[in-house]
Amino acid sequence: MSMRPGGELATRPLHFIWIADCSGSMAVDGKIQSLNTAIKEAIPHMQDVADENPNAQVLVRAVRFSDGAQWHVSQATDIADFKWDDLDAGGVTAMGKALSIVADQLKIPPMDERALPPVLVLISDGQPTDDFAGGLQALMNEPWGRKAVRIAIAIGEDADQEVLKKFIANPELRPLQANNPESLIKYIRWVSTAVLKSASSPASQSAAASTAGLNVPIPALPDTTGPSADDVW
Amino acid sequence: MNLENDTPRWQAAGQSVRGAAHERSGMPNQDAICWRPDCGAGSLLVLAVADGHGSSRYPRSHTGASLAVETATQLVHDFVTSQEEAENLSLVKRAAEEWLPRALVRAWRDAVDEHIKANPLSEIELDALGRTNGDFTKAYGATIVTVAVAERFVLYLQLGDGEILTVTDQGAVSKPLVKDDRLFANETTSLCTADAWSDFRVSFQPITHEQPALILLATDGYPNSFRDEAGFLKVGPDILHTIRAEGLGHIHENLERWLTDSTRAGSGDDVTLGILCSFVPFCG
Repeated sequence: MSMRPGGELATRPLHFIWIADCSGSMAVDGKIQSLNTAIKEAIPHMQDVADENPNAQVLVRAVRFSDGAQWHVSQATDIADFKWDDLDAGGVTAMGKALSIVADQLKIPPMDERALPPVLVLISDGQPTDDFAGGLQALMNEPWGRKAVRIAIAIGEDADQEVLKKFIANPELRPLQANNPESLIKYIRWVSTAVLKSASSPASQSAAASTAGLNVPIPALPDTTGPSADDVW
Repeated sequence: MNLENDTPRWQAAGQSVRGAAHERSGMPNQDAICWRPDCGAGSLLVLAVADGHGSSRYPRSHTGASLAVETATQLVHDFVTSQEEAENLSLVKRAAEEWLPRALVRAWRDAVDEHIKANPLSEIELDALGRTNGDFTKAYGATIVTVAVAERFVLYLQLGDGEILTVTDQGAVSKPLVKDDRLFANETTSLCTADAWSDFRVSFQPITHEQPALILLATDGYPNSFRDEAGFLKVGPDILHTIRAEGLGHIHENLERWLTDSTRAGSGDDVTLGILCSFVPFCG
């Protein structure tokens, strides 16, 4: 038995980052509790997806933003070991700062060129109160920021759709509108399973075909239609 | 002077294995490899590897990769053979840089058209393509990496992702082609795009004093299987050492297992490695 040529082998990292609005309005009508519940419920499903594709190492982090922005989970944590500590709400909406600190972590290094495209999930119920454009620019200045799968979930009618569209920066993909806890759970589940599965595939595609920005195929959205009387946000 | 003994001779080896992710999903290997002449030895050898894009939007990319390596090796072999007597290498270089990429894309598209005529696209495939503008070559989207070694020059051509490494007699590794920053985040330039010829990277290197001892061609599933680039670059001197110590036959015997181990513990993608080594007697 002879030695395999080359150095150490390793699966490809797939960074998944929650970017969560924790402003004061998220305390109204149980939004922040619903978000905590939805993410907690999604974790075992993310673990299942990761188990199905052992060649992608799913690493999860989370950013919270209100009066400022901080890493809620700062270490890129293997999904097998990931635990969710509840977020609480209070303050304003420093979304731009949140995007800036994500941008810092998407630089190469610490990111690796061989990584799979990261998944960024921005969840907000309001309008940014800081320099959103500057934060978005910082994110888009990084190659991994531009090539990340960027999903936005709008909680309630007051969420700024235009800002979320700018974050997505893709006319083929709109913000997901969650007006009740059930639809929020469905969207969180979708992004943490179907989108995660798609992003963890090694399939490539023509760069010319992805000028719209969808370098990862986005799976069909979950059905969240239901009686409007259920809409509480 | 015995010219025949002084003429560098080359040998080819290689293997392609289905990726661990494709084994799980039941998808075929999207990579392909081919060399000419078939015997894999001579003073003129052409080796090509290709990587079909693999997603549902490219439903025949495994066929596209096979057509790519077949057409590229044939065309480049014919080209180099036709230039063997040329006195002015500058003209050969110019033709390689300007004519060959166009001819390669044209030959591949012709082969794709023939394949479609013989095997019309199904409704499911047409749906996957989006029934856009009638140009269904996209279904066959693939990359192509080709190296020709001849008595007086080495020619490197690459469209899309993948890697070429050269290894000197002393084991020093380098890349003969400039980096293409567009090859990032699962995106690649491709044979199936308009003006694909303009995306080729080409290097024509006359053999003046020292030729490479070893040239490696790999689809991206192989370098992506290593924790870092240093680990991938180490493949070069390791294979050179193994060939010298145990012979090319040892590579033939073990390559499939090495590549299978790589995809399973690494990227999960299809993995293909082509090897061109200048002939050295087995010293083991």
